[in-house]
Amino acid sequence: MASLLLSPAEQDYIICGVESGFRADGRGSLDRREVSLRTGMISQANGSARCRIGNLGVGTDVLVGVKAEVNSWTPGEPEDVGSIVCNVECSPSAAQEFEGRGAEEINVELTQLLDRILNGPQSGLNLKNLCIIPKQAYWVLHIDALVLDVKGSIIDTLVWATRAALMSTSLPSVVVETISDEKGNIQSEFDVVDDPDNLTPLEGVEHLPISVTFSQIGKRYVVDASEQEEAVTQARLTVAVSPAMEI
Amino acid sequence: MSRQELLSPEGLRVDGRRANELRRISCRASVLNSADGSSYYEQGNTKVLVAVYGPREPRSKALAQHDQATINVEFNVAPFSTSERRKRSKGDKRLLEVASFVKQTFEGAIQTTVYPRSQIDIYIHLLQHDGGTLETCINAATLALVDAGISMVDYVCACTAGFIDQKPVLDLNFVEESSIETPDLTVAILPRSGNIALLQMESRLHSSKLDEVLELAMEGCKHIHQKLDQAVLAAAGDLATKLSR
Repeated sequence: MASLLLSPAEQDYIICGVESGFRADGRGSLDRREVSLRTGMISQANGSARCRIGNLGVGTDVLVGVKAEVNSWTPGEPEDVGSIVCNVECSPSAAQEFEGRGAEEINVELTQLLDRILNGPQSGLNLKNLCIIPKQAYWVLHIDALVLDVKGSIIDTLVWATRAALMSTSLPSVVVETISDEKGNIQSEFDVVDDPDNLTPLEGVEHLPISVTFSQIGKRYVVDASEQEEAVTQARLTVAVSPAMEI
Repeated sequence: MSRQELLSPEGLRVDGRRANELRRISCRASVLNSADGSSYYEQGNTKVLVAVYGPREPRSKALAQHDQATINVEFNVAPFSTSERRKRSKGDKRLLEVASFVKQTFEGAIQTTVYPRSQIDIYIHLLQHDGGTLETCINAATLALVDAGISMVDYVCACTAGFIDQKPVLDLNFVEESSIETPDLTVAILPRSGNIALLQMESRLHSSKLDEVLELAMEGCKHIHQKLDQAVLAAAGDLATKLSR
């Protein structure tokens, strides 16, 4: 993550403050900054959300878009599930070193993190529903996140925005026809209904996890570290919890 | 798409507009908190977000020019912006071309000699693509630069125009742009002086028709200039009320 240049005096100030229970902006150690969340701004994407933490000037800003595409099955993949592909891009407006190729490392790190949370049974999404015809075609959900601003707590913002985008995602309905030809083989064809009113929401989105990040500063923990606090953090623990209280 | 479908006999286009109507424009300045200047610009279904930083220290001393500011433009297309999702790598030639056009356009408009040895960064994000990429980028960047307080000679307003069925049409959308026979002319002007900052065309157009199409595009630019002006005044008014509280 981008780090500020803090003088030893400032670092000391933050560490001692946290140990005594005070934070630079007056919050308690478990208080978060203000969160603002909006969904559905991008009409061409199947789902979208923008999440902002912090107010009036200094904050973290993430924009997530979800697009669904139909993919043909290739041998070697599991036969009856759809898949989710994540991609995180940090924009140079977040920090000057993200210009050009500078953001690649952090992009990969955040992408892997999001992938770990969403792919697999722990995410709660019903991947079997994403399959259109077994062994032939399935939905691929492309989750693209655009990080516009980073001022601490990027992981949390990213996960919340993704969850909101997935909750607002709706897939077009698919009509599956099965035709049997002379030899008795059954062939299936599918047709994506191009009707904007005929959309189905994703299943299982209520079980998506939300993450909370704890940062250790000195001997105590704080939640939702700001940029300066992150620069002094010694260790960070992110826990993703689903509504059923599973980790 | 055959030509007949783009312009119906009654004079209506695919989205219900007449030949000389612009799409609906809505724009806002100061949408990003940490950028020196930012703007969000929508023209029809094309949405662009621009962040401007500067003047600030150049990233490498080699880029600094002793008598003027360096302008750096980075153009990002979001993968969810087109109807089929497509991820473009940062080195994509088309993206670099658009970025370089924007840079050259603004080199003529920004008073770079006022900020020697510094760098002005313009980061453009295309959130939704429905035709007219270059024109929306230039208009949005103008608004963001004004929001950042960077001195410019004049606004830079851009508009596209084309030629369908022997009639000049204004502000092409994606469907009209992608039809092969429609020429697509993008022009950016400085409204007060009428000077042209950028003129770009694709496909081919008979030279006798160029004047008509150009004039129509310049009319469109003047309208856009008014819209941008309103947005700047709104943002300034907002700021004034906040400061006076």
